[in-house]
Amino acid sequence: MEIGTVVAGVLTLAIFTFLYRDNPVYRMAESILIGVSIGYFLVITWTNSLMDLLFQPLLTQGEWPLVVPLVLGFLMFTRFVRRATWLSRIPMAVLIGSGAGVAIPAMLNARTLKQMSATVVPLLGESGWFDFSGLIVLLGVLSTLSYFYFSREHRGLLGVSARIGTYFLMIFFGTTFGYTVMSRMSTFIGRVEFLLNDFLKLTS
Amino acid sequence: MRLQGRHWAFLGLIAVVTVTMLLGIRPAVVPSADTERMYGYLDSLPAGTVLMVSFDHEASSLPEIAPLAQAFLRHAMSRGLRLIGVSLLAEGTGIGYRLMSQTADEYGLKYGTDYVHLGFKPQYIAAILSMGESLSKTYPEDYSGNEYGALPLLSGISNYDDVAGVVSIADGSLTTHWIEYAGARYGVRVSAFVTAAMVTTYDPYLASGQMYAMVGGLRGAAEYEGLIEIGGSGTRAMLAQTAAHVYVILLIIIGNVIYFRLRSKRREA
Repeated sequence: MEIGTVVAGVLTLAIFTFLYRDNPVYRMAESILIGVSIGYFLVITWTNSLMDLLFQPLLTQGEWPLVVPLVLGFLMFTRFVRRATWLSRIPMAVLIGSGAGVAIPAMLNARTLKQMSATVVPLLGESGWFDFSGLIVLLGVLSTLSYFYFSREHRGLLGVSARIGTYFLMIFFGTTFGYTVMSRMSTFIGRVEFLLNDFLKLTS
Repeated sequence: MRLQGRHWAFLGLIAVVTVTMLLGIRPAVVPSADTERMYGYLDSLPAGTVLMVSFDHEASSLPEIAPLAQAFLRHAMSRGLRLIGVSLLAEGTGIGYRLMSQTADEYGLKYGTDYVHLGFKPQYIAAILSMGESLSKTYPEDYSGNEYGALPLLSGISNYDDVAGVVSIADGSLTTHWIEYAGARYGVRVSAFVTAAMVTTYDPYLASGQMYAMVGGLRGAAEYEGLIEIGGSGTRAMLAQTAAHVYVILLIIIGNVIYFRLRSKRREA
């Protein structure tokens, strides 16, 4: 058996001990996970990003404009020096400014405009029959939006609409929760399969 | 060692999953329309087509992600599609590279010619936009340290214009960024294999046509394995998945019965 399989099997069982209660074996496995994840992230960021995109082009190919992001990156660390903390606001401003500039039009287009246009569908299907799913989508969008309209008290027509909106929301929450339970079960089943198949060799 | 109610619930779940896994029964799974759409899409691409596959997940979701990724990779590689692997999450890099290498070995494919893995780049929005401008400038070297120009598969691949689409294998919201930036800005066809927990997040994108196709969860993996006629972890886990769900439903019913009985007793008192 490979050493990696043994380590993975032992650590999986160590994590499962938390099902009884918190204990040192579980905490050791958890600490290993955190340590390895951070270590891996640092190494891969250094080799795949900082060396590839910054230091090598700057030092070996003479791409001097890269000094600007290098300096901005170093300014981030001034947060640790009380008298120079204000300098860290410069790279933060660049990050937030450029990030917002890029994200706002993209999100407005993808999450609002495209989604709004997707709710406007013909109520008569291609076969000429009335399309109930289109009507349900329209009803769901309008009633859910009315639930989040807080400038008027939810009474009368608005109250009825908001109430219908809460039903749609509940159905969404239930579906999402059901899928999440399914996902967690899948993860657990995957580990049990690993233990039975690879670690204990009870199945094939 | 004193066992409480929740311990019995956990032990019951462990017993249900272990016994059903040991039985080794593989129930027939009927593919959904979404899974068939993904299968049809990949099946329609001519051999030699270049696809980008992004491993946008962490190690913690591997039990659910691996069957999905393997089903996709087996289909794509068996059909002769050439794959460019990338990762928007650091942990997905090593996992993605290993899954690609293992599947490529099954079909005798060669690294650099049939598939490559370019590795990880941080700041996913910047990485996606940068790949749209120049793939070689975003990835001067691949994950293994080979220069971009030294990999035959990448000759003639400049940006998204030269790939048929992006397939995101994700356990979180990173596919959204592929849709919002690569899809909307560069017109790339985005598809995804996602964990079950993310299905409801991506359903609106699928319904609006912003995402072309989606396969979700272990059930989706089992459906896809059925379509490509190669059994895998998804198919093996279906009986356990069904039994675990029935067990959870029973626990919910029992819990509710106990709750309402206690409440009525309290009212009477």
